[in-house]
Amino acid sequence: MMRGSLLPRCSNSIFPPPPNSNRLRPPFLKRLPAPTAASSGAQSRLTFSQNYRTAPNRLRSSVSESQWKQDREMATGDEQQDPRIAGISSAIRVIPNFPKPGIMFQDITTMLLDTKAFKDTIDLFVERYRDKNISVVAGVEARGFIFGPPIALAIGAKFVPMRKPNKLPGEVISEEYSLEYGTDKMEMHVGAVEAGERALVIDDLIATGGTLCAAVKLLERVGVNVVECACVIELLGLKGRERLGDRPLFVLVNAT
Amino acid sequence: MFAAENGLKSDPRLQGISEAIRVVPHFPKQGIMFQDITTLLLDHKAFKDTVDIFVDRYRGMNISVVAGVEARGFVFGPAIALAIGAKFVPLRKPRKLPGKVISEAYELEYGTDCLEIHVGAVQPGERAIVIDDLVATGGTLSAAIRLLERVGAEVIECACVIGVREVKGQCRLNGKPLYILVEPRQIDNCC
Repeated sequence: MMRGSLLPRCSNSIFPPPPNSNRLRPPFLKRLPAPTAASSGAQSRLTFSQNYRTAPNRLRSSVSESQWKQDREMATGDEQQDPRIAGISSAIRVIPNFPKPGIMFQDITTMLLDTKAFKDTIDLFVERYRDKNISVVAGVEARGFIFGPPIALAIGAKFVPMRKPNKLPGEVISEEYSLEYGTDKMEMHVGAVEAGERALVIDDLIATGGTLCAAVKLLERVGVNVVECACVIELLGLKGRERLGDRPLFVLVNAT
Repeated sequence: MFAAENGLKSDPRLQGISEAIRVVPHFPKQGIMFQDITTLLLDHKAFKDTVDIFVDRYRGMNISVVAGVEARGFVFGPAIALAIGAKFVPLRKPRKLPGKVISEAYELEYGTDCLEIHVGAVQPGERAIVIDDLVATGGTLSAAIRLLERVGAEVIECACVIGVREVKGQCRLNGKPLYILVEPRQIDNCC
C-alpha cells in the first residue's frame, strides 16, 4: 500500500502560505476577556517546529525535504495569525487540578461541541497535510481517535490506532515509555503500515512528549517516515518538543 | 434494522465494508470471534463509504448531537458529526472526563461498568444519535441511551457498523431503533 513515486511533484504540492512565525508566543491563558482587534494577535498562534533542520534520516524523501524547507522559509516571515485560531483556543476549557492537584487540564471536549471550532481545527490540519503524499495518520488512544480519522479521510490516508496494551486484537508490536511513576506501553497492529510510508502522528495535546515519542518510535521501527507530529495543544515548559528531538511538531495552540 | 433492508439493498459499498473487517478468533477470550474494524480503517474507500452511509442517513434529520462510545465510537462519530453539522459528545469510561459528569452503570458478563457524559454537553430537547463500532448484547448502547435521556436529549437512533440481527430478541434497544451496516463475519477459510 505504499504510495507511489517519491519523485518531486509539480507545483500543486506547494502549501498554501501558512501564517505565523516559528517562534513561540507568550503563554496563552484561557478564559481571558475576548481579545480586541488590537490584541488578538498576541494570544494564540500557529507554531511551527523550531527544528526544521534537514534531518540525517535516510528515509526522508527528497519531496519531504524540499516541501518542509519551503514551509520554514515561508513561516519565518509572516506574523499573521490564522483567524480561526482564536475561536479554537477559546473553545478549549481549562479544568484546574485534574487529574491531580496542580495540573491545569486542557479539555478539548468543549471544542467538540463548537461545530465551527472543531471543523476549523480539522481544516487547519487538512490544509497543511493534503497533497503531501501522506498515506498514514496514526492517532494515539483515545483523544487522537477524535482528530485523526477526519484528517485521514480528508487527505486520503489510512487511519492507524495506537493503543494501550491488550486492546488491539491481532498481532502487535509494543513500545514502552516512561510515566512520572513507572512505565506504560503503546501498541500497533503488525502489518498496519509498511516501510517507506509517510506518516503523521496525531494527539490532542503534547505535554512531556512521552506518548508521542513512543508512537513515533513504533512507526520508525517498522521503517515508516514520520513526517510530522501534530497536536491541537502544546503544553509549554514540559520539554515535549525536545523529547521529539529533530522530528517536526506542529501545534495550533500553546498553553501553560 | 440493517442498511441492506432499508434502502441500500445490493449497495456494493456494504460488501466492501464487510470484507474489510477482520475476524480475530478467540479474542479477548476463547470462543469469541472478534470483529476487528482496524482493517476497515486501513481501507480508505471502505472507511469513507462507512462514514458516507451514516452521513447520508442522518443529514437532514436535524440531529445536533452525535454521541460516540469510547473508544471505537470515537473513530466513526466525529467524521459523521462534522459532515452533518452536529456536535460530537464523547461517552467515556469513569474518571476520563475532567469536568462535572453524570454516570450510568451497565452490566458486563461479570460485574458492572460505567459510562459518563459531561454535564452541559447536551441541552434538553436536542436530537441525538449514538455511534459505536459494534452492538453485541446492547449493554453499552443501552447505558448510552439512558445517559442521553437523563440530560433531556431525544435519542433518534443508535448506529453501528456491525451488529447481530437481533439484540436480546429485539430489533430495538430501550425502544430506540438500531441502524446497522453489516452482520458479524465468520472466519474465512482463506486467511
